[in-house]
Amino acid sequence: MRNPFKEFGCLSVEKKELPLERIVRAREEVMGQMIHGYLKLVEEEVKDLVWLVEHSRVVKAYSAAVKSIRDLQYDVDDIEEFCGELDSSNKIPYMISGPAGIYVSALINHAKEDRIVLRLRDYQRTFHFLGYRLPEGKTLILQGDVGDFVGAGLSGGRLVVEGSVGNWCGAGMMKGEIQITENSGQNTGEWMRGGEIHVEGRIRSVGKTLFGGRIFQRGKLVMPQDLELDI
Amino acid sequence: MEDKEKTLREIWKDVRRKHLFPELPHPIWDEQEERVALDIKDKRISISESFVQELSQFMDPVQAISGLLDHAVSHYLHCPWDLSTHLRLYREAKKVLKDKQMAQKATGYFMDVVADTMCISQKESHLPEVYRHIRRGIMDEALHALYQKIWGVDLGVKGYEEVARKLSRLPYLDRKKWTETIKKFAKIVQSLLEVEEKFGGLNRPNPMGEHSLQQYSSEEINEGLKQFAKEVETPGEFKEIVEDLQEELLEAMEPNERGMGLGPGRSLDADVLYYMKLAENYSLPVRKMPLEKSGALYPYQHVPWEVGMPFRDIDPWTSFGKIMPGITQMWQRREGEMFGREEATPDCIVLIDSSGSMTNPRQSLSYAVLGAACACDAYLRNDAQVAVYNFSDAKAGGSQILPFTRHRMAIYKTLCHYFGGGTKLLIEDIESLQTRNNPDIFLITDMQITNLETLIQYFNEKNNRVTAVHIGDNEHVRTFRKSMALRKNVAIFSVEKKEDIPKIVLGRIKEYFHSATRF
Repeated sequence: MRNPFKEFGCLSVEKKELPLERIVRAREEVMGQMIHGYLKLVEEEVKDLVWLVEHSRVVKAYSAAVKSIRDLQYDVDDIEEFCGELDSSNKIPYMISGPAGIYVSALINHAKEDRIVLRLRDYQRTFHFLGYRLPEGKTLILQGDVGDFVGAGLSGGRLVVEGSVGNWCGAGMMKGEIQITENSGQNTGEWMRGGEIHVEGRIRSVGKTLFGGRIFQRGKLVMPQDLELDI
Repeated sequence: MEDKEKTLREIWKDVRRKHLFPELPHPIWDEQEERVALDIKDKRISISESFVQELSQFMDPVQAISGLLDHAVSHYLHCPWDLSTHLRLYREAKKVLKDKQMAQKATGYFMDVVADTMCISQKESHLPEVYRHIRRGIMDEALHALYQKIWGVDLGVKGYEEVARKLSRLPYLDRKKWTETIKKFAKIVQSLLEVEEKFGGLNRPNPMGEHSLQQYSSEEINEGLKQFAKEVETPGEFKEIVEDLQEELLEAMEPNERGMGLGPGRSLDADVLYYMKLAENYSLPVRKMPLEKSGALYPYQHVPWEVGMPFRDIDPWTSFGKIMPGITQMWQRREGEMFGREEATPDCIVLIDSSGSMTNPRQSLSYAVLGAACACDAYLRNDAQVAVYNFSDAKAGGSQILPFTRHRMAIYKTLCHYFGGGTKLLIEDIESLQTRNNPDIFLITDMQITNLETLIQYFNEKNNRVTAVHIGDNEHVRTFRKSMALRKNVAIFSVEKKEDIPKIVLGRIKEYFHSATRF
């Protein structure tokens, strides 16, 4: 009797492993670790699913975030993808914007690359706290509108926002530069100690307490006003 | 000429074997096409002769043909696989790119990456060699840079590192993630597509061939649309995609009608098509004609004759001419079966409420229209006819009457019409549809009918089997239920969840159809 499968006999069924599979596997591993780190941070910091912005809590959350990413090998593409996951994925059951922004900032500050571009205009959610403690030598470019506390505690880095920012932009920044191509919200530069904020559009209000630094609107110095007189 | 055909036959034999004998017809040469390598229409692959000639300046033509066939077969075997996957991928790309032409391009390129990568990961192929010598546009350069990275080959592309790096992170081989993957893919290639658009590159065909819907047979298109209607969340979503691809769909479904002058004027009513295809997902199986005892006995099998058994059934031919118990054979008879009397399925009058309190079927999924569509589908499948009375404020002209017909499109069009006014029906309109054969009546409404008493009185006077489906619970429903409580020919369904309508409706109609076959 003729074997009906005879013709299949000469065919190789060996599957080659393509570089793609290795890349995807590595990427999935990194993403899994990032998500795990973020969820752990949320679990620790946001016990009642409410997160109030207090200086001590922000500092604590940032320290916890830095600790969780210490051994992680990642690049800017991973950060971008993680933002995408935060925005729409069902892998992350809750996205609490404060800790999420702090976690992303920790990732940015400890990334290998010195220049990082994040395309935020594709996302539905608003990210807060981006550029938190951005260190010297790093440039972060955010394309699209962002939320509150952007560039808070800036530590020498250069932050460019191609869009508008919410309230408390550059709050407590120490040094470095923030450039905003559109508008900024209330309390811009509150408690800032150094550095510069440049806003190309409208500034809703400037912070009441400034310990240093300068704020410009369309190239014109608006804070501190007495300094302009000195110049 | 013969040599050319022979070569193609030989190569096709090898390619088919390599891909485990896919059920595809023999490919043919295309002597006219110059710009693209391949075309697939109704499953038949055509290879551009001039394209192969051009490639043969750089590589062995046999290898070039083999690589091109690998590409085409891999599309058939892996991606898109079927029309619903194709539409789903297009829908996701469109969500990101918001432009029909760019979304079509992105979908095509994505399907190429998936199909080719599947092929390269599983088979030995000359495809990389083909890509090395193909003429490239901007998008092709970027994708070939991607191939270099994910296949680990050198295709001679320089640049596009960032795009290739970003694209290389996507899990193309994981079918379950395709809808997510294509969104990311579209987002990454968006800027390149915009550049292509600026320089007219989007109008240039993909060198490996476009992914026209004509590659699907009309049966596959019907099945694909049915599946897609089930997957989308709103009629609007279905409409957007179907309207975008309307011309191609029509061309694929009725390829010859363009020549008959129907081309430019033809259009698909996507809303109607949506309910039609969605209803098909809930279709009832048609019961086969039943068998009944005929009353006549016929010889069934031989058994040994014993003393005391009748002589008349003895079969002399198998009994060796002897009358001896145990040797003589006799016929055992059994009653025969035959097809029973076929009881025709009654026709049905569908009364559908499209007043302002009902959902507008063109804006969101109307379970009332879906329920009615399922009922119509069931009757039509059972060879019956359907008449539709779509009413809102009938006295003020807010009604549509469709006499008995089997024309699906006309039926669904009438069901989908939305008046959105008050709710008053005219009994004379229903009466005008009555026939001597007592058609079934299927009513679907929220019962907030101004002249409900008149309708109740009408049902009390008639012997038609009535299925009344109402949405929600209110005073009018209670009145209707109370008034119809003693009527055995009226079945009423209260619908708590709108999603239950198709199931309930079909369940009951199923009973009708089954009971119709009892004797």
